[in-house]
Amino acid sequence: MASTAPLVVQASLLRRLQKELFGSRVDGLLSIALLAALLAAGLGFFRWALFQAQWAVLGANSTLFAVGRYPVEQQWRLWLLIGLLALATGLSWGLLRAFPGSGGVRALWPRNDHWAAAILAVLALWLPMALHLTPAIKVRWWGIFALLLLARWAAGRYGKAIPQTYRRLFPLLWPLLYLVGMVLISGGLGLVQVPPSEWGGLLLTVLMATFAILLCFPLGVLLALGRRSELPLLRWGSVIYIEFIRGAPLITLLFLGQNILGFLLPGGFSPDRVWRAAWVLTFFAAAYVAEAVRSGLVAVPAGQLEAARSLGLPMPLALVHVVLPQALRVALPATVGQFISLLQDTTLLSLVGLLDLLGTARTVMANPMFLGKNAEVYLVLAILFWSCCVALGLGSRGLETRLNPHSPSAQKA
Amino acid sequence: MISSPALMIEARAVEKWYPNGFHALRGVDLYVHQGEVVVIMGPSGSGKSTFLRTFNALEDFQKGSIVVDGIEISNDLRRIDAIRREVGMVFQQFNLFPHLTVLDNLTLAPVKVRKRPKAEVERQALDLLERVGIVEQAHKFPGQLSGGQQQRVAIARSLCMEPRIMLFDEPTSALDPEMVQEVLAVMQELAREGMTMVVVSHEVRFARQVASRVVLMADGEVVEVAPPQQFFNNPQHERSKQFLSQIS
Repeated sequence: MASTAPLVVQASLLRRLQKELFGSRVDGLLSIALLAALLAAGLGFFRWALFQAQWAVLGANSTLFAVGRYPVEQQWRLWLLIGLLALATGLSWGLLRAFPGSGGVRALWPRNDHWAAAILAVLALWLPMALHLTPAIKVRWWGIFALLLLARWAAGRYGKAIPQTYRRLFPLLWPLLYLVGMVLISGGLGLVQVPPSEWGGLLLTVLMATFAILLCFPLGVLLALGRRSELPLLRWGSVIYIEFIRGAPLITLLFLGQNILGFLLPGGFSPDRVWRAAWVLTFFAAAYVAEAVRSGLVAVPAGQLEAARSLGLPMPLALVHVVLPQALRVALPATVGQFISLLQDTTLLSLVGLLDLLGTARTVMANPMFLGKNAEVYLVLAILFWSCCVALGLGSRGLETRLNPHSPSAQKA
Repeated sequence: MISSPALMIEARAVEKWYPNGFHALRGVDLYVHQGEVVVIMGPSGSGKSTFLRTFNALEDFQKGSIVVDGIEISNDLRRIDAIRREVGMVFQQFNLFPHLTVLDNLTLAPVKVRKRPKAEVERQALDLLERVGIVEQAHKFPGQLSGGQQQRVAIARSLCMEPRIMLFDEPTSALDPEMVQEVLAVMQELAREGMTMVVVSHEVRFARQVASRVVLMADGEVVEVAPPQQFFNNPQHERSKQFLSQIS
């Protein structure tokens, strides 16, 4: 009996494939045609990727893609920042596994983490080789990867020994790191100033996206609350803002910010072009986040606020402790969806002349040395953006499960 | 009663119109003394829930005055919060906070509003849960409890603020029949301890056993106020007789 079981499974799988792909003559013809087309496309792609494509364009411009025209002698600051980020990521990752919350995964090293670590290892070891980076830089990448895994291991292993009072403070590490990162990138406090016009590439894209994501969220929550406020001024102000922003394409607003704002603001006071774009992105995304959060607020029954208020909780406390936790859970998937499109929208910065990842790519492709290498460059950009968006989506799924152990979606995941 | 106890709720000629023009309360009076249990009955749409909800300013009103525990209800938000701290409310739909454990449902308001130390409040909360008979559910979430258990948690949650008055808005109407009794038993116990209570309910047995007075409301007016024996055995008004014949 035991020996036949796998055979039965195989047979049923084959039968199912046969039934679904070759159920009738038309089905069979369609399946064969489609399979052939897929095969041809796949083969063609691999032939191109392995024999025709000239990946040298990426290795030769890797620094440009990574940080733009950031001064070479100051780049140690960015390396330091990457190291700190790896450390914080590893620590957070390990602590999340050591303290799984009510709905999270229980194991210290669940199978998904093995996969994540393996993928990271392959990327960390292979990418620097493939890009033909200098030995010094290769070693740095390997060191950073080792640091991340070490922190992950140590936090998972010894995290439980940290007293609760310190552990509670741990999430503050991230905002702190953000401030440290801003100082490291832009200078000040004894470091040489590097003006935003010299930031570029992935650095600029990530900076714009995180800045806008971090700020548009609280702004969006305030707008959503304003839209449901009983005070007419607040309510109409929020409605007009949200509908105005949602009625204008982002590119229009970006041009407005780059070209018109200078005339409107009093002379002398005109923030840098990069910051102007960052604020436009933030204000743009906030309107959409506000609508996502509003849908969450609508989903919380009126009785919740009544119960909180009749216990004597003043309005702000009732919102923070009772209404918003429930509303934001409902709004989380839609909000992360907004974050993902915000990340993609940063590419529009290249249209107003900023050298984000896409803008850098366009300057590289305009270089006579690398003419005609569009496919290679765009493919890598696409993979890069795709991975960032998938990571955001996975993070949101994990957060949902962790926050909401009793929801049907959490039980399915 | 010879020396009359303190007046806890004093509602005079309360009138309310809903924004759509509906005249929900047409000059209602009610006086509730300390330690009294007043049960308000009446057909649906009679304004009894609306009236109850004006006592902690969940509903506003346009004419008349309401004084609760010595504080007059006005538009002053600080006064309203002060009243709500002293007045507990239990809802038909329980309205427990689903994202918090049972214990956190109880401790939230005392810790955040009364600024009491969390450990002390937790001890008190566990005592209260013991009293309503569900201490073993303290670390579950409301969604994991039955309706009767949820309503007992809701009562304990209100009691954790140590209120001087408890309002009950049809506390057993959303419950399966076999769970009604466990909630009524808790309310009966509370009444025996001397809590001032105003209860909107159709539980005749509860009203007979526990109520100091029964109030019948119809069409936004108080029709009859009487001790329970008199009200149920010998109603004075035609409207009361009609109502009693409908519910029994």
